[in-house]
Amino acid sequence: MKIDIGPVTRLEGHLNINTTVENNIIIDAKSMGEMFRGFEVFLLGRDPLDAQQITQRICGVCPYAHAIASSYAQEAAYRLKTPPNGRILHNLIQGANHLYDYLLHFYQLSALDFIDVTAVTGYTGKDPDLSHLRDWVNHALGSKESYPAAPFLPRLSGTYVTDTDINITALKHYVESLEIQKKANRASAIFGGRFPHATGIFPGGCTRPPDIDAIASYQALIRDVKHFIHHKYLPDLLAVAGAFPEYWHIGQSKGGFMSYGLLPFGPEPDSSRLLSPGVLLDGKVETIKSDAITEDVKFAKYSSPSGLKVAQGSLTPAPHKKGAYSWVKAPRYDGHMLEVGPTARILVDYLQGGNKTVKQLVDRFAGIADIRPEQLNSVLGRHLCRAVSAVVIADFLLDQTEQINPLEPFIPEIKIPEAGEGFGLTEASRGALLHYIRIKKHKIDHYECVVPTTWNCSPRDDKGTPGALESALIGTWVEDPGQQIEANRIVHSFDPCLACAVH
Amino acid sequence: MINRRDFLKLAACLGASLPIAGLPSAVSAALKILDPESVPKLIYLQAQSCTGCSVSLLQAEAPDAVTMITRHSKLVFHQDLSAASGKQVLDLLDAYISGNAGDYFLAVEGAIPLGMPEACVIGTKPIADYLGAAAETMSGAVAIGTCSSYGGIPAAEGNLTGAVSLNDFYKTINKKPLLISIPGCPVHPDWVWKTIVHLVKIGLPELKNTRPAAFFSRKVHELCPRYHDFQQEIFAEKLGDKGCLFKLGCLGPDTFADCPTRWWNCGQTWCIDANAPCIGCASPMFAAKRDFPFYRNAETAMSGTPGEKS
Repeated sequence: MKIDIGPVTRLEGHLNINTTVENNIIIDAKSMGEMFRGFEVFLLGRDPLDAQQITQRICGVCPYAHAIASSYAQEAAYRLKTPPNGRILHNLIQGANHLYDYLLHFYQLSALDFIDVTAVTGYTGKDPDLSHLRDWVNHALGSKESYPAAPFLPRLSGTYVTDTDINITALKHYVESLEIQKKANRASAIFGGRFPHATGIFPGGCTRPPDIDAIASYQALIRDVKHFIHHKYLPDLLAVAGAFPEYWHIGQSKGGFMSYGLLPFGPEPDSSRLLSPGVLLDGKVETIKSDAITEDVKFAKYSSPSGLKVAQGSLTPAPHKKGAYSWVKAPRYDGHMLEVGPTARILVDYLQGGNKTVKQLVDRFAGIADIRPEQLNSVLGRHLCRAVSAVVIADFLLDQTEQINPLEPFIPEIKIPEAGEGFGLTEASRGALLHYIRIKKHKIDHYECVVPTTWNCSPRDDKGTPGALESALIGTWVEDPGQQIEANRIVHSFDPCLACAVH
Repeated sequence: MINRRDFLKLAACLGASLPIAGLPSAVSAALKILDPESVPKLIYLQAQSCTGCSVSLLQAEAPDAVTMITRHSKLVFHQDLSAASGKQVLDLLDAYISGNAGDYFLAVEGAIPLGMPEACVIGTKPIADYLGAAAETMSGAVAIGTCSSYGGIPAAEGNLTGAVSLNDFYKTINKKPLLISIPGCPVHPDWVWKTIVHLVKIGLPELKNTRPAAFFSRKVHELCPRYHDFQQEIFAEKLGDKGCLFKLGCLGPDTFADCPTRWWNCGQTWCIDANAPCIGCASPMFAAKRDFPFYRNAETAMSGTPGEKS
């Protein structure tokens, strides 16, 4: 039987998934992006410096990643000489944005898949947040309201954590994480001007000088975030993993992996990065060739040609196109379907022996969970790889603040050339993010974004190969085909962002 | 006994003509002891949005987001927070929008694709269908952010989907619901949460051009701590400079918002404090025209702007 499990909540935007279930097994899944705006058309003919502002509005959850990708692309197109401080400020902004995003994803977007929120009704302790929540939930449940204790109830039917301590601790941290994510965002706003949608980011730097006032505040805020990551986020994640070990085996995608690499050590475009780039195909990591990326649209709602390379991309919406079931295009690498995101980021780095801390953390947690590194391709693997990313990013950010020279330039002088082009490749929290800009007569002649969720939530490509999320859902056993909490857990592990995917 | 919906309508009429301080004291006293169960529900829908306004709402400091949804309002549905998913959501929305689940306010983030309804779908129905039906049953609507207030970037030059603001959407389908617009790209969390506290505790706040007057009565330039620099002609000449940012294209002189006194991210900073020119994100003209870039050299900056006039 065919069942739509959308709108899938606790993710960004408009995602529906059409599943076909037989004997409680999902035998087919179609990922449907349901919202379209047309950013690549809005950008045409504009001043190139508008791009890092406009593209942030693709996504208000990870706007800084778009600003950074756009800045990299413009730096290449302008042949800009980025000062070392400028690159560090970009890193401080982008890295802090990753930290907030991981916390938001684990607690607000994912935890309610596993944690039993009703455990709070029997809370007997003295914590003021939990006591208030208990009274609020109990009062609502005793009332005649149509939907008491919304938005936390109703929820999908299924098995939740039964251990009271784990539930109560996680709920306390659900509330506390909302305070901590604000600190991460305050830190990035110091140099970005505000969050979301930073106005202070420009190609090659930021408008806010890195003086002691700014740096000391940044360090203090990130230290608080780091403390939460080590002492609350990681233990909560391991507790959930301990309660649901089967999710190390559920939700594998069936293609390759790609990471563009995250957080450059230096200002040059080819600087090595905290997490190394690469594409992982058939167990081997290769160097990425950006001209191997194409976008298929046979099953996407566009009448523009299929299989175009990034620099030739085209966008003609066709909402009634026959056979098309999603606004998301289907990007492919040399014809291969890929998963991008935390697992790709960590696996690609781990297999190259790039970052020593990544290797140590992966080996340690793999030992605790009794899994092999390949099982990072799973629901819990994606969650764990976010946490590993968070640990190494937080340390890197604090180290970067020590590398600043407050007397040196922090933003270059920008001159828009008559013509030029450039690629900007980085890792958004959700994965590999590419921006491409081409300039003619000092204006944007072409702009293209290939975004993490475009890869992960893609529909079939022209050959009929499912996208990463579709492939991870197919074959999954579901207890209740009408609700499919198991499928929801798989979807959430990818942290889809549909505004990014379609844009 | 006056019921809640009549009361809100009455409050709306009073609020439209009087500042709240002018309300009879017995009325305002009565409002403050409302039974919590009668607090109106909020249904938060996302149209052509980026979720930036929702993320901004989570950055609220005092009151914070949890306080807002457990003490000052009842958030029945939000895409990013609701545990309910799939059919549960569609049933919930149908129950409220059909008028069967009690009073509610609608909060809408994002523009509405009037020319291409398929460009924003919830479940199987275009969001326009939900919004149209809600006009008959809701107590009022709050347009959250610049997209919902004015069309924003989805309605910028090159608009492929016929994206419009919530106000224009309702005008087109000949509906006249009570509507408050709270622009900003993103919206400032205080602007929304404090408007909602006002709606719940007192009634409709004073509005100016459909915006809450409390936050949008003065222009950024008028309130700017660098107004002195402007008067003394101490101008930033290049990005990263201190001083008045007017010559770099700052749109503070054309943008109604209280950012200079309110600041952003728990009072940590705001655009101009970081030497970043105001890009007019709360303005009806935000990002609207290709030929009107955010950043300009001195010559074009002095030549006048298409911003909102007072």
